[in-house]
Amino acid sequence: MSESPALRTTQLGKRYGATWALRDCTLDVPTGSVTALVGPNGAGKSTLLHLAIGLSRATTGTVEVLGRSPISEASAVLPRLGFVAQDHPLHKGLTVAEMLTYGRKLNPTWDDELARRRIDELGLPPSRKVGKLSGGQQAQVALTLALAKRPELLLLDEPVASLDPLARREFLNAVMEVVAEHGVTVILSSHIVAELERVCDHLITLTEGHPQLVGRIDEIVASHRLLTGPRSDPSSVARVHHVIRETHTDRQTTLLVRAGGHVYDTCWEQHEVDLEEIVLAYLGYRPGVASRAPAAREVVTS
Amino acid sequence: MTWVTWRLQRTETTIAAILLALLALLLVPTGLSMASAFHHDGLAHCLSANPSNACGEKITAFQTRFDTLFNLTNWFTLIPGLIGVTLAAPFVLDLEQGTYRLAWTQSISRRRWIAGKLALPVLVAVGSAAVMILLITWWRGPYVQLNGRIDTGSYDSEGIVAIGYTLFGLGLGLAIGVIWRRAAAALTIAFVGYVIARIFVDSWLRDRLVSPLHGTWTMTQAAAHGKPPQPAALYHAFVYSENIGIHGGSGPAEAGLPGKGASLTYHVIYQPASHFWPLQLAETGLFAGTAAVLILFAAWWTHERTF
Repeated sequence: MSESPALRTTQLGKRYGATWALRDCTLDVPTGSVTALVGPNGAGKSTLLHLAIGLSRATTGTVEVLGRSPISEASAVLPRLGFVAQDHPLHKGLTVAEMLTYGRKLNPTWDDELARRRIDELGLPPSRKVGKLSGGQQAQVALTLALAKRPELLLLDEPVASLDPLARREFLNAVMEVVAEHGVTVILSSHIVAELERVCDHLITLTEGHPQLVGRIDEIVASHRLLTGPRSDPSSVARVHHVIRETHTDRQTTLLVRAGGHVYDTCWEQHEVDLEEIVLAYLGYRPGVASRAPAAREVVTS
Repeated sequence: MTWVTWRLQRTETTIAAILLALLALLLVPTGLSMASAFHHDGLAHCLSANPSNACGEKITAFQTRFDTLFNLTNWFTLIPGLIGVTLAAPFVLDLEQGTYRLAWTQSISRRRWIAGKLALPVLVAVGSAAVMILLITWWRGPYVQLNGRIDTGSYDSEGIVAIGYTLFGLGLGLAIGVIWRRAAAALTIAFVGYVIARIFVDSWLRDRLVSPLHGTWTMTQAAAHGKPPQPAALYHAFVYSENIGIHGGSGPAEAGLPGKGASLTYHVIYQPASHFWPLQLAETGLFAGTAAVLILFAAWWTHERTF
């Protein structure tokens, strides 16, 4: 592993007018990881990726990609980054072949053989206008443009949001192939959690411009538990563990906790919990609120 | 970068070329017939030192015959604006369609992308304007020999001022476009702005760039033969207004003519032919300078404000 992380942000914040799109964001993404950046629409995922690629300039704090500033050292760092923007913008009036020429002309590190092979494998006719391709095919062209730069870090902004399930699977398979072949570090944002576990080994959740959960997916899954027990006040649990979500029925209380050690209290029954449920709990979680008062609880009356 | 910019500006360059081709389609046949009429009627001889008596009629006949066409050419002054505004489209479209996010995440810097994307339309604008000027200058040749080229119809399309107009249209399209990021709307407004600016300069500012001259000539009624005199200074000049004053004289005025011994003062406000180049240089400087400011503004805004 190299000495500097693929992405490092320190107290990073971005304000548009009066609204903070991203705030107080301090995190590292290690080299070699495949990281899912998860959050609802408007949580700041695109903002974070745009700051990382130099399309946006930070209001506060700093961001480093591959150890460098994406703004002041753009010409040094841009050739090492691959980026696919949301809705994968392409010149719709250009043919597939012309779109590849575009990439070749603008990138000194361009791997033309890789680009042509990929287009060939995808079965895309080079003389077809990009605008005439399906959404999935356009996403694949955009990915090809990013990959043919032979990047060290690949940033994908909502790459599968607009794709149907089959195209989504094909796209993620393509990303996994690249990771396996070239060892590229990948950060991909998504508001869809399903399927990400198959591809990613790291996770960042963003809510209202703030990262909540940052780490390895296996550690995250291992450290979270679902506790069920007779209806009670969870404050004793909250002293030791981090309560992310609490649900009460007439007789039963269910807690999703980030365990701060073993759960010794025998009145709680412990269950494993899957990633999707953890992520959903975090997306509804307000920091500093749920642990003190049960404001974020879901009350299920059955 | 050059290939990319060229490829993405191909449509707009083609539109400019089609506009010029349509213009040529109109001007080449009519220009040939005009030149041959000019030659056939022996009008060149009329411009010599000793014109024959029939010349006045010949010239009038020639002017009447091509009058409609000459009037039509006043509209040609919109072409530089159309071409300039059209050439602003590729830059604005990249912002509107979000493809700037694709361009700026390749390996070249934002600064280089902006420079390349702006240099090419400037070159094409200057080139198109030059072609238009050459075409119209050739076409108006016979007319200019008779009337000079400082009247509005000729002045706007000859010399170099049309280059300034085209660049101004381009700059206005870019400046509005980078802020608004809606190509169709921004470029329409830019074209309207172009027309307004042109009307303002034509009708008000131009006379303040290079002041017209005031001339007064006095002559006796006998010399004037009831016709306005043609002092040498007014040769090929553009006359804004003329006043004939009558002083003295005796006897009754007959048929609207002053009596014997009266003197006429002929007062004229005019741009002499010699003002053509000073005016061209001043106005080209004005439009091209404004265009430079607008283009630099568009570059700055895109570089600094698009984050």
